[in-house]
Amino acid sequence: MSEPFVQALHDVFGRPDVWLIVFLSACYGIFVGSIPGLTATMAVALFVPMAYWLDPVAAVAAIVTMVACAIFAGDLPTVFLRIPGTPASAAYADEAYRLTKKGQAQRLLGIALTCSVFGGLLGTVVLMLLGSQLARVAQWFSVTEYFWLYLIGLSCAVLVSSGNARWKAMLSLVLGLLLATVGLSAVHVQPRFTFGWPSLYQGISFIPAMIGLFGLSEVFANLSAQENQTDQIQNGETTSFGRLISEAFSGLATRLKQRPVGSTQAGLLGVLIGMLPGAGADIAAWVAFAAAKKNVAEESDEESIRAIGDATTANSAALAGGWIPALVFGIPGDSVTAIVIGVLMMKNVTPGPAIFEDQAALVYSIYLVFLLANLIMLPIGFLAIRLGGFIVSIPKRYLLPVIVLFCVTGSYALNGSLFDVGTMLVMGIAGWGLSRHKFPLGPVVLGLVLGGPLEERFIQSLTASGGNPVGLVNRPVAAILAVVAVIITTGIVRTMVRELKPDPSV
Amino acid sequence: MSRIAAICSLIACLTLSSCGREQQWPARPITLICPWSAGGGTDRVSRQMAVQLEAELGVPVNVVNATGGGGVTGHTRGATAVPDGYTLTMATVELNMLHWRGLCPITPRSFRPLTKLNEDSAAIFVLNSSPWSSVGDVESAVQNADQPLKASGTAAGGIWHLALAGWFSSRNLPTENVTWISINGSAPSLQELMAGGVDVVCCSIPEAQSLLDAGEIRCLGVMSDERCPAAPDVPTFKEQGVDWSMGGWRGLMYPKGVPEDRVGVMQSALAKITRSDEFKEFMTNAGFNVSVIQGEEFGEFLDTADEDFGRILNQPGMKQQQKAPVGRYFVPGILGALGVLIGLVGFVLSRRAGSPLVEGESVATRSETESPTDARLVVGFIVAILLFLIACQTVGYVIAGSALLLAMLLMLKTRVSWAALIVVVAVPGLYQLFAGVLGVPLPWGWLGW
Repeated sequence: MSEPFVQALHDVFGRPDVWLIVFLSACYGIFVGSIPGLTATMAVALFVPMAYWLDPVAAVAAIVTMVACAIFAGDLPTVFLRIPGTPASAAYADEAYRLTKKGQAQRLLGIALTCSVFGGLLGTVVLMLLGSQLARVAQWFSVTEYFWLYLIGLSCAVLVSSGNARWKAMLSLVLGLLLATVGLSAVHVQPRFTFGWPSLYQGISFIPAMIGLFGLSEVFANLSAQENQTDQIQNGETTSFGRLISEAFSGLATRLKQRPVGSTQAGLLGVLIGMLPGAGADIAAWVAFAAAKKNVAEESDEESIRAIGDATTANSAALAGGWIPALVFGIPGDSVTAIVIGVLMMKNVTPGPAIFEDQAALVYSIYLVFLLANLIMLPIGFLAIRLGGFIVSIPKRYLLPVIVLFCVTGSYALNGSLFDVGTMLVMGIAGWGLSRHKFPLGPVVLGLVLGGPLEERFIQSLTASGGNPVGLVNRPVAAILAVVAVIITTGIVRTMVRELKPDPSV
Repeated sequence: MSRIAAICSLIACLTLSSCGREQQWPARPITLICPWSAGGGTDRVSRQMAVQLEAELGVPVNVVNATGGGGVTGHTRGATAVPDGYTLTMATVELNMLHWRGLCPITPRSFRPLTKLNEDSAAIFVLNSSPWSSVGDVESAVQNADQPLKASGTAAGGIWHLALAGWFSSRNLPTENVTWISINGSAPSLQELMAGGVDVVCCSIPEAQSLLDAGEIRCLGVMSDERCPAAPDVPTFKEQGVDWSMGGWRGLMYPKGVPEDRVGVMQSALAKITRSDEFKEFMTNAGFNVSVIQGEEFGEFLDTADEDFGRILNQPGMKQQQKAPVGRYFVPGILGALGVLIGLVGFVLSRRAGSPLVEGESVATRSETESPTDARLVVGFIVAILLFLIACQTVGYVIAGSALLLAMLLMLKTRVSWAALIVVVAVPGLYQLFAGVLGVPLPWGWLGW
């Protein structure tokens, strides 16, 4: 064993203060992640001033732990209340809440937790073994490749939707993309659809929009006078704590036994997507969710749980992926690693290839911290699931108003602006209308998230090629991605055309 | 009887929990508006200043990231904030540029400048494998280019774009030989440089430090009078015979109209902080170039900078450079057409199918588990939230939030005593959670909380 590794072992496992920091960060991460409106990035940004008094290992340990826990904790309100706690959970919000109504909440969360831990550990292993080689992959991605990647991500939203409601998913997606064009166009630096309203320059912030679309609209759908006297959001299960844990682990074991390839694939997919600057945990969850659902003929609860498991594996694995370009080149893979680079530089540590030689012990410590963070998430996560279970046993007439207040406060919290609360309200009404007519809401959120970058990359690619569309496909990786995107899109269009033709069998 | 008692105790609770009115300034938390997102350089400086101000003034200082619109949102909010001294803005160089580009009416004159904290000069970066080794090489490449050079570093019209375009036009080089690719931010621009999508990146040295240290990219020159302490090996433009300098600044400002005594308190706190070793150490470690100017001098600096930027931004070459290959309504147009097309397909499908199998089934399962929504309640909730929106800023979060929660609970026919109990527990709890623990400044209003 090399000396830096021993040093790292001592730094991470041999110091009680690191253990304490990891434990506290885990609780803090779970707490912030489960409040809709507060993201993992915000959790880290709030922590930065405290990082000043910690040494690099402790600071990194805290950040890694709180992010991993926050991303998992985002699943808690998603499952219990259909409000995605962080954007990384939006992909499966509808699906997960459907299972909650059938009384499967705790079981689903148990599996989501073990899958998150599995994804996190897998991501860590990849980071340890292949980090510096994989970092080169990011070099193949210029704006053109990103354009195609985002397009593939968007088509996933349509693939996720089931059967003959596909046109509704597409319409939702287009609606999201159109909403994303509101505000100051990043490439033109000119306002669009702002009607001279300065608040609209920033566009429609997607976190308040997400809280409104999923959370407030669900509250509206639940408002019925007759029912709320007695009704509770169906809980149905009285699982003991021990059973919850054993079921969660046996769930993971079955997954790994039955489809080792699929689960690992979801994790690797997560690492790859997380590694690309500009993509991240949220897109990873979408793609993995779509990949798990694409070959499914009929919808059953087991299939849904399987797909959600894949998505949670992928979004946790993406976190480790984000560190690859950050450590190797100092290019942040996502906004969290951007902050981490800042914190490390504050400590006189500059990420880059040299860090692997000069600060080998620190690099090993980061790997070990990832392992520790994912392991400590297990007990704390189970406790959080248990506590969250109490929420759904509160009668609706007490719960719904408090949820509304949470939605209002959470959407205010992000930017400290009442305008965002208004956005949340409008989106809540829109989401309520859309769900009543069976339009899926996930694609609207994905459209909002990816709409801006997609248009930017498109116009940047065109600017680079002097306005010539050939510029979109004349790099090898871009051409491959373009072919994939075209295959998926024609597949979607073909099924739509087939549906349009009169079908004699019906 | 019990109802009246419950409401009375509720009011008593809310009043008691508010602290005493302000005797000395500052008496309540201060908000620091950062116009850029969490994790960036400006955010880091803002959060460092917040920590030190908190220690100096003895009240919490909360950073709010009012992002978007290329700085429009944050600067506008900072300039139009209530001038009671409780709102600070971390203004950046974009303040000198936004109004020239017609994006917002806010200028440096809309603010009361307090202290300039730092100034980072622009620098030119190329890949390590690039044939160019000096600023002159780039100039001759631009002069004799058969196809346009690709450059980036920030969005079109941003500070680094300006620095590059200003340099070329000051040397009378053909600006049409450079295509500026509008990429939001220096990190993705450097990523683009690594991927071979652009030839040159213009940004500040701290932003490119790690790639520079890694030997992946080279810095050809820095646009300042003196060498950058973070990279002392990099020659300046002046040393290479090019008389051109440009950089971005960051500084703290008040909105216009803050009482003079409060400005004084803040100004002296800032003076103390900027002289402290902690501040200097932080800035040096993070790679930011400290350049402190206070008060009126800062105002003069801003006026000069404003004139310079106006001159460069109004050059015909600059305006031409900002043109994108497709218009701003191109993409929304395509999306709209696509939406209409899909809508038509859907319309035909649903007309033909009547009620498709799956949809019919899901409607059935839904109606089993849920009773129909009461539209009156929905309207009631919406009105309640709207009233909250209107009233919140004036009366404050605690009062408006309590009223909202109480109204909703009563609409759902909760017993008044229960409703009052929930309000007393939930609203101050949420306030403490967000404002106390998480540092999100909620509106204070009448309670002056």
